[in-house]
Amino acid sequence: MSTRLLAAAVTAALLLLTTSAHAADKKVIRLWQTETEPQTMAVLNQIAADYEKTHPDVSIKIEGLAWGDLEKKLTAALAAGAPPDATHGQPITCVSFAAKGLLRPVEDLADSLGKDNIVDAFRDLCRWQGRTYGVGHSPASSVFVYRKDLLAQKGLKVPKTWDELIQVSEALRETKDGQVVRYGLTMTGAPLFVNIGIGELLKTNGGRLFDEQGRPTLTSRQVIELLDFYKKLNGVLPPGWTGHGYLDTFANLANGKAAMLYQAYGRGVGYIEKYAPKELADPDHYAVADKVVGPSGKSPAAQLDCEPWMIFKDAKGGAEAVDFLKFFFRDENYIPYLHSVPIHLLSIKKSTYKNPKYADNATIAKWRPWVDMQEKYFRNDWIKPVLVTDWSDMQKPYLLEVMGSGILVDMVFDSVKGMPSAEAAAKAQKRVEELLVQGGYLKK
Amino acid sequence: MPSIADAAAPGAPGVLARPRRRLSPALLGLLGILPALVLIGALILYPVAYAIWLSFFDKHSFFPAERWIGLGNYARLIRDPEFWDSLWKGTVYAAGTTALQLGFGLASALLLHRAFRGRTAVRALVLFPYMIPTIVAVIVWRWLLNETFGLVDYVLVAWGLARQPIAWLGVDHIMTSLIAMSVWQFAPFVTLSVLARLQTIPLDLYEAARVDGASAWARFRFITLPQLRAVMFVVILLRGIWMFTKFDTVWLWGEGAGAGAEIRTLPIYAFMRTFTYYQAGFGAALSVIMFLMLMAATGLYFRLFWRDEEKA
Amino acid sequence: MRTVGARLGPVCLYLGALGLCAQAILPLLWMLSTSLKPPREVLATPPTLIPAAPTLENFARLLTQTAFVTYFLNSMVVSGLTVLLTMAVGAAGAYSLTRFPFPGRESIARLILCTYMFAPIMIVVPIYILARRLGIVDTHTALVLSYSSFCLPFSLWLLRAFFQSIPIELEEAAQVDGAGRLRALIYIVAPLALPGVIATSIFTFTLAWNDYIFTRILIVSDELKTLPVGVQDLFSAAVVDWGLVMAAGMLITIPALAFFMAVQRHLVAGWGTGGLKG
Repeated sequence: MSTRLLAAAVTAALLLLTTSAHAADKKVIRLWQTETEPQTMAVLNQIAADYEKTHPDVSIKIEGLAWGDLEKKLTAALAAGAPPDATHGQPITCVSFAAKGLLRPVEDLADSLGKDNIVDAFRDLCRWQGRTYGVGHSPASSVFVYRKDLLAQKGLKVPKTWDELIQVSEALRETKDGQVVRYGLTMTGAPLFVNIGIGELLKTNGGRLFDEQGRPTLTSRQVIELLDFYKKLNGVLPPGWTGHGYLDTFANLANGKAAMLYQAYGRGVGYIEKYAPKELADPDHYAVADKVVGPSGKSPAAQLDCEPWMIFKDAKGGAEAVDFLKFFFRDENYIPYLHSVPIHLLSIKKSTYKNPKYADNATIAKWRPWVDMQEKYFRNDWIKPVLVTDWSDMQKPYLLEVMGSGILVDMVFDSVKGMPSAEAAAKAQKRVEELLVQGGYLKK
Repeated sequence: MPSIADAAAPGAPGVLARPRRRLSPALLGLLGILPALVLIGALILYPVAYAIWLSFFDKHSFFPAERWIGLGNYARLIRDPEFWDSLWKGTVYAAGTTALQLGFGLASALLLHRAFRGRTAVRALVLFPYMIPTIVAVIVWRWLLNETFGLVDYVLVAWGLARQPIAWLGVDHIMTSLIAMSVWQFAPFVTLSVLARLQTIPLDLYEAARVDGASAWARFRFITLPQLRAVMFVVILLRGIWMFTKFDTVWLWGEGAGAGAEIRTLPIYAFMRTFTYYQAGFGAALSVIMFLMLMAATGLYFRLFWRDEEKA
Repeated sequence: MRTVGARLGPVCLYLGALGLCAQAILPLLWMLSTSLKPPREVLATPPTLIPAAPTLENFARLLTQTAFVTYFLNSMVVSGLTVLLTMAVGAAGAYSLTRFPFPGRESIARLILCTYMFAPIMIVVPIYILARRLGIVDTHTALVLSYSSFCLPFSLWLLRAFFQSIPIELEEAAQVDGAGRLRALIYIVAPLALPGVIATSIFTFTLAWNDYIFTRILIVSDELKTLPVGVQDLFSAAVVDWGLVMAAGMLITIPALAFFMAVQRHLVAGWGTGGLKG
C-alpha cells in the first residue's frame, strides 16, 4: 500500500513544483495595494490588461491586501528578501522604509503627474532627506457624519467643540421601554482607527505626540485632556464600542442605531446606499460637518488617508513598475479607478477635478457635499496622516513601530476602563520611551 | 485514542522470526522511517533551531542588520510586564478552556454512548464544530454575539435575562466569549476520544456489576472512570498543549476589535513582537520560552500522573 | 422496581441529546438564516430568525463576484495532497517503528511527542525563509510542505498506535505459512489497519483544510488562497457584506457536514480500534 502511494505522492509533488515554477518569458511585475473591493480590482486588472497590450513582454500582477494585512505581509516578504516591486503603505511606513534605504526615489513618477498639479499637502507625503519616495494613489479624509433630520427634529445645533459633541450625543440618545434604541454617537474601537482617532483629536486640541527632539509628549496637558474626553465619550457611545469594528459603526449609522459617526469615510456612502432605508439615503439626511475642536485647540483636523505608491530599490521590476504607474495615473485610466469607489477615492491631481469626465458620475453628483468637505480640508491643510500631528513628524522613522505596538491604543483603553488619565498617560509615555530606546532612536 | 504509554514503552513485542534474505530488519526499519525523519527535520527541527538561533540576536523583522546580544532578549523578557500579562492571560485561557472542554466532552460522550434513536445524526452534529475552519466559526459567533444585530443578545433581553445587550466583544467580556467559543469549537475532540474508548469497554464488566447490585453511579465510578483513565491522561495533555499554543482562534476573535488587548495571550504576543513591533529576535525568544514552559509542564505532568498500568 | 432515577433516565437522556444538538445547530441555523436575507433585512432590529423575504442573491453574488469557487478548489487540492504525502510517509514510518528493531527507535517515538509542543508561531517565519530559499513562496507546494509540518507528527502518532494494536503474531503466522513480508502486509495488516488509516486520513485532512496561519503568511496571490484565508479576506474587505460571508460559511459547512455524517462511523470505529491498551 505504502509504496504505490509514496510514488503517487512524489509524482504529485514533482508535478506541483514544475507547474508552479513560471516559465519565464514574460517579466512579472508585482504590485501590492490596499483597495480590495471587487469593482476596484476589476478596474485595476483592466488597466493592467490595457498596459500589457502595448508592452507584451511584461505581465502585471496586482494584489489587493486588506489594510491591517499589508504591514504584516510586507514584514514577512522583507524578512525573506522577497518584497513586491511596488506597494502601497501608510505614509509613515514609506518614511520608515526610505530612512532604512529600502526605496527607490520616485521624482520621475511625481513629475509625470505634472508640476504643481498635486495639492501641496500631498507633495510631501513621503520625503526623506530632500527626495521623494512615494506618490499617493488617491487621497481621502475622514469626515464627521450626522443625521441632519434627527438634529433638526430636536432643535439641536451642529456641535463645534468637544463638549458640544458630548452634549448633542446625550440629547440624541433615545430610549424606549427602558432600552436604548438609538445612541447619539458611534465610534470604532478597532486599533488602527483608535490610532487614527488619537492623532486627529489631539490635533484638534492643539497637541502633539512628539516634540522637536523626538521625545514623546504624552504627559502634556493636551493629551491628558484627550484622555478625559475619551472617558466622556465612553459614556455616550454604545457600551460595546470597544468591540466595534470599522464597519459596525457604519452598520449602526445606516440602521439608525446611532445618530452621528465621528470617523466616517467616503466609502461609507456605499454602505448607506445599501443598508439604509431608501428614503433616507442621501446627503440631506446623512450630512457632513466640520470636525469638533478641543478646549486647547483652534482649528479642526482630520486624518489623511492616502497610501503612497513606493518602489523597492532592489526590485527587479522597479523601472517597469514606475512606467506602469505613469500609465495608471493618466486620466483615461485614473478616472475609472476613482469612479470605482466614488466618494472615497478622490483625485491626487488638481487637473482631474477640472476634467468634466470626472464629475460625470451619478454618485459623485448626489453626494457632492461629502466630496467638497474633504476638498476643503485638503486646501486648508487640515489633514495629516495617521499618528502625524505635525508635518515634521514625518521625518521621524519610528512612527511605524509606535503604531504597531498599540501602546497609544492601550493608553486610551486603560483610561476608558477607569485608570486616571494622568496615570494612563505616564504609563504610555514610559512604554514609548522604552520602545524608542530599544530601537536605537532615542538616547536614554 | 492512542496513549502516550505507547511512546515511552518498549514498544511492539518481538522481532519477526524469519531471517531476511536481502536486507536486515534494522536497515529496512531505518529506510521506512527515513522519509518521515527527513520531513520532520526539514520542516520542524530546522525552523525551531533557526528560531532558537534568532532569539540570541537583536534583529529588526525586515531590515537585514542584526546584532548578537546573547541572552539579552531573555533578560528583557523577564522584565517585561507585557510578557507576564500575556503569560497570565494565556494560562487562564488554556486552563479554562481545557477544563470546560473536558467537562462538556466527557458528558457528551457518556450521553452519546447510550443507545437512542437518531444517535448517528446527533453524533455527526456534535462533531461539526470541530470540523469547520476556525474563521467560519469565528465569523458566525461574532455575528451571533453582535450586540446590535445578533440573536443572542436579542433573546437575552427579550427573555429578561439581561437588562441591556451585553457587549460580548468589548473589554469586559471578550475573554469570556472567547473561552465559550473555544470550548464550543474543541470539546468535540474530547467527545470523540472518550466515545471511542467507551465503545471498547467490554459490556460484561457492567453486567457483572449489575448482577452484584451496583448502582449506576457506582458502575460509573468503579468501571467507567478507571477505563477512561488512560485516554483522559492523553486528552488533557494534548488539549492543554494545544490551547496554550492556540493562535488562530484567539487572533481571529480579536481581529479588528478594540478589546484585542484583553485576550493577548502568549502566542499572540509573540506574533505581535515579530510582526507589529518588528522585533524578530524578541519574538523568537518568546516562542522559545513558550516551548520550554510546555516541556517543563509536560515533564511534571508525567511525573505526577503517569501510572505504569497504563501500558499494560 | 424502577427507581425514580430509572424513570427520569430516558427523559434526561433525550433532553441532554436535545441540548447537544441545539448548541451545535444554533450557529448553523443563524448562518443559514442570514445567508438567505437581503441586505436591509440582515441589519434589521430586532433580528429575525426566519427571513421575511428569503433570497438566493447572496449565494449568487458569492459564486459570481468573488473567487470563492477557486478558494474551495484550492483547499481541496492542497488538503488532498497533504493527506497523500503524510499518509504515505507516516504509514511507512509507523510500520517501521512497530515492526523493525533499529537503534534509536524509542528516541524517535519520543521526538514525535515533542514536536507537538512547538507552537506553529515559532516556525512560521523560518518556514517562510526556507520557502523563499527554495523559491516556492506563494505556491501550493509550500502549503503542502508546511501543512505537513503539523500533520505528519499527528498521523505518525496515530498510525503507530494503530499498527501496534495489530498483533505481530498474525504476520508471523502468515510468514510461517510461506507468505513473504509484502504479502503479509497486503493481506493481513492492511485490512486490519484500514479503519485506523481512514480515521487518520480524515483528521489529517481536517487539520490541513482548516489551517490559517501558514496560508496567511505564505500565500499572497488571490487565485492560490485556500478557504480560511479567502473567507477572512471576504470578511475584512472594505464594505463587509454579512449576507455574503454567511453564504460562504454555508457553502463550506454543508459539504463538511454531509461528509462527516457519512464517515463518522469509521471515525469512531477507527479511534476505537487503535484505542488504548488495558
